[in-house]
Amino acid sequence: MKQVLAILALLVLAFLFAGLVPMASKPGNGAVGDYYATHGIADNRGSNLVTSIVVNYRGLDTLGEVTVLFLSVMGVGFILRRREGTPKYSPVPASPILNTGANLLFGSILLLGAYIFVHGHLTPGGGFQGGSVIASGVLLLILARRDRELSHDLLAWLESLSGFGYALVGLVGLVVAGSFLANKGVLPLGTWNRLFSAGVIPIIYILIGLKVGAELSTLLDIMIREPAPEGGGH
Amino acid sequence: MAAHHLAGALLTLLGALFLFLGALGIVRMPDLYNRMQAGTKATTLGNILTLAGLALYHPSWALKIGVIALFVLVTNPLSSHALARAAHGAGVPLTEGSVSDALAEDLSPEGGEAVES
Repeated sequence: MKQVLAILALLVLAFLFAGLVPMASKPGNGAVGDYYATHGIADNRGSNLVTSIVVNYRGLDTLGEVTVLFLSVMGVGFILRRREGTPKYSPVPASPILNTGANLLFGSILLLGAYIFVHGHLTPGGGFQGGSVIASGVLLLILARRDRELSHDLLAWLESLSGFGYALVGLVGLVVAGSFLANKGVLPLGTWNRLFSAGVIPIIYILIGLKVGAELSTLLDIMIREPAPEGGGH
Repeated sequence: MAAHHLAGALLTLLGALFLFLGALGIVRMPDLYNRMQAGTKATTLGNILTLAGLALYHPSWALKIGVIALFVLVTNPLSSHALARAAHGAGVPLTEGSVSDALAEDLSPEGGEAVES
């Protein structure tokens, strides 16, 4: 029965993708897609067109997306908060292997995450991806240093300030260039494919990277500090 | 076809073979720990062989690929170690044919001579 279902699922997928493949090779993507493809680099000077779309053309949506993430972290923190009378989290020391690995890797993981969101307008990836990489480094540190506590105050400040900065950049655009989150006319666009280019896009993506990194780190820490159910240990 | 292209392609194919063996091990092995070791060892080797093949094929990428390979070499065993230890702590049972459980001996109070720094 399972095999029959698997084969059926494969057939359905093959049918669906067979319909998609010829479409992908067609040049037309609709009027909006064509506009992005032809004007994207001239408008924003970012060599990563996806970033131009996410941060500039659809910047308001991205602000909403960041807000959704913030609300979900708040919700998880609210649901998983430690109630009066529940046993306090008792850390089990991590193995020496994990400790050594964390010492070795934490810095380079942080560096990789920062690299990804600083270069968001040039190479694939950006604020969300870089922030997730940073949070994975923080997770490694949380697992290796079970006795140390993550500073939620610091993370909350970092998160709030970067969210505030995002809205502020949008407001500056509204005042200087006449539209919320405008890119043209706020900062010089610079030369295509350089680190300092694409106007406010890298600034926004760095802020998003910090925000996502702080949010996901808080989320992971809350989930780990939640007391383990009966029989759970390490 | 240049010689280094052929060598790179063969090395990548060999890596793919090890990745396949790792996947096969995950399906065929009897318990979580055995599956994990098949998955980790075979995929670490498969990854590195695939990357080495790519480095041969595109010599100009070699430095970046070397960094990625180093990263895989450190992170892959580390994450499976943490996962396996967590599973052991959560009480995932060993397969019936197992003859010893060194971690349980280390962690038990009677096995005091074991060094846990």
